[in-house]
Amino acid sequence: MRQLNMVQALNEALDIILNTDPYSLLLGEDIGRDGGVFRVTDGLLQKYGKERVIDTPLNELGIVGTAIGMAAYGLRPIAEIQFQDFIFPAFDQIVNQAAKIRYRSGGKFNAPVIIRAPYGGGIKGGLYHSQSGESYFVHTPGLYVLTPSNPYDAKGLLLAAHKLNDPVIFLEPKRLYRSIKSDVPEGEYTIPVGKAKKLREGDKITIITYGSMVPTVLNVVDKNNLDADVMDLITLLPMDLDSIISSVKKTGRVVIVHEAPRTLGLGAEISALISERAIEYLYAPIFRVTGFDTPFPYANEEHYLPDEERILKYVRKSLEY
Amino acid sequence: MGSNGGGTLKFLNRFDENELLNAYRVAVYSRTLDNRIINAQRQGIIGFHTPSAGHEIPQVAMGMLLEKDDIVINYYRDLTLLLFRGVPVENLLDHFLANSEDFSHGRNMPDHYNFREYGFYSVQSPVAMHLPFAVGAAYAKVMKKENGIVLSNTGDGGTSTGDFHAALNFASVWKMPIMFVIENNGYAISLPTSEQTKAPIEKKGEAYGIPGISFDGNDIFSALEGFIKAFEYVRTQRSPILVEARIYRMGPHSTSDDPKKYRKDEIVPGSSDDPLVKFKEKLKSLGILNEEFDNEIKKWATEDIERKLEERMKIPPPSKETIIYDVYENPTWIQEEERREWL
Repeated sequence: MRQLNMVQALNEALDIILNTDPYSLLLGEDIGRDGGVFRVTDGLLQKYGKERVIDTPLNELGIVGTAIGMAAYGLRPIAEIQFQDFIFPAFDQIVNQAAKIRYRSGGKFNAPVIIRAPYGGGIKGGLYHSQSGESYFVHTPGLYVLTPSNPYDAKGLLLAAHKLNDPVIFLEPKRLYRSIKSDVPEGEYTIPVGKAKKLREGDKITIITYGSMVPTVLNVVDKNNLDADVMDLITLLPMDLDSIISSVKKTGRVVIVHEAPRTLGLGAEISALISERAIEYLYAPIFRVTGFDTPFPYANEEHYLPDEERILKYVRKSLEY
Repeated sequence: MGSNGGGTLKFLNRFDENELLNAYRVAVYSRTLDNRIINAQRQGIIGFHTPSAGHEIPQVAMGMLLEKDDIVINYYRDLTLLLFRGVPVENLLDHFLANSEDFSHGRNMPDHYNFREYGFYSVQSPVAMHLPFAVGAAYAKVMKKENGIVLSNTGDGGTSTGDFHAALNFASVWKMPIMFVIENNGYAISLPTSEQTKAPIEKKGEAYGIPGISFDGNDIFSALEGFIKAFEYVRTQRSPILVEARIYRMGPHSTSDDPKKYRKDEIVPGSSDDPLVKFKEKLKSLGILNEEFDNEIKKWATEDIERKLEERMKIPPPSKETIIYDVYENPTWIQEEERREWL
């Protein structure tokens, strides 16, 4: 089968959506003529025209605010925020408009809008091109929060997001945009929303991760022949609780790995869920390996990001506890 | 029937006396309801209210010029416009009472309306955040080749928000058929418009390439004249316009607010400056209305509202299970678990 990188896989998903759904459209900064700063929307303006691939003014609240209005009145907009770091002017629109329309209108309105945003570090982006802000959104009932970790999932997950009738924050790990390739089938297929994937099967420890940390975790497991369950969450809200709990009950040891800062990161919620439901199965404390509770540094990013050494240290600590 | 100066005949050429009388009747009904809701709040029957007194005139004028296919992306001081477009008072009362017949299961504070069937959007609290949304709604209308325009209104405070500027810019760049209406009632809670902005509100569109129009919204004929121009512009040019209706908020911002702390009332309800009284005098001078008929209208409004309020108060509150629905199309395991454990 042909191999694609994540940028190509996402581009193909968007092409399928635009081609099959006449009410779908894309909007964002530099997504038309320029094809997006990461080229995810390359070639789509030429194919579908200005009405459906919109180069917007530089205003995130305008992009998201208008997209929600489009969605509530029958269109299927997919908005791109150039870097997730720049999404905050639109935070009010996401949290107070998109996430609450269905609830406050008693189901008379809904907002099936997808907001795509590259996130995470590893591209020398410093404080404002590197953030992992997933927790802000996972804390908001009414949203779906999704993040793929490879090209195959990226295409299928975006196609699945398009079928949801509620707002989706679709976080793309930009470090993986071009660094890995995988088999990607042509045509349409979907990755189930709300389901984690078990990427390695083992009995001694459960490592829970998602997005850009997935390849790093797999390297640790493979290089060290660890007998580990590796869970790729894919859907961050609502998380696949059943898969997490059944793995924990089997292994009794848990390490959670994410790039975002530790305090109230997803690791905190996962730890709490496990504690409530499976604490009697645990042989060791739940450990979190995360980005530091600092802004994201430019020069030292390789030390900020959890690396194989840090992950291995906590895996060993858990196994030897 | 004669001219009342200022070219009133022109308006009567467009709107017959029944339409004017109907507008007056809706305005009176709205004021009566407004007062009753304030009293109900003081009695502890209703939790909260943002009164619309002083907003009736521009709202009936908009109502007279809106067409069926037009969408109104509204805000929380629109009681008169809701009534004008046919929202039954029973539904309004169910909403104010947050009872089990309310369309949104009593989830919203009063004045956060949900009347999609009558061409409205759903109202949120954060000021002006619905303006970019309205531009998106217009985009959907254009792309789906639907008839009609979008009208979106907010107060003078709204013009200071980033949402307002984003909306004007996007509407202009995309050339959307949308009318932004600023109901400038002089105050955003306690802040007078003179401290909200140093630029005339009608000028705020110019930097974005959007024409502006401003008029005395306390006078029915000047409001109609202004809105006729504005609607004609948006309908024929399919382009945005910014409208400022200069009015006066005669009540508090909300039932939780005490304006005595920050202002002296400039227009007292029921005085000769009250726009509703001025409307009445105008209709009287045109020979459309007399005191006797006016009293009948007011009596009918009071009795109708009293009877319906009494009737709607008997409806039980929404069931607690409704808390978890409509978060998503289907509840996730998280809401389901919370329902099983607690509801």
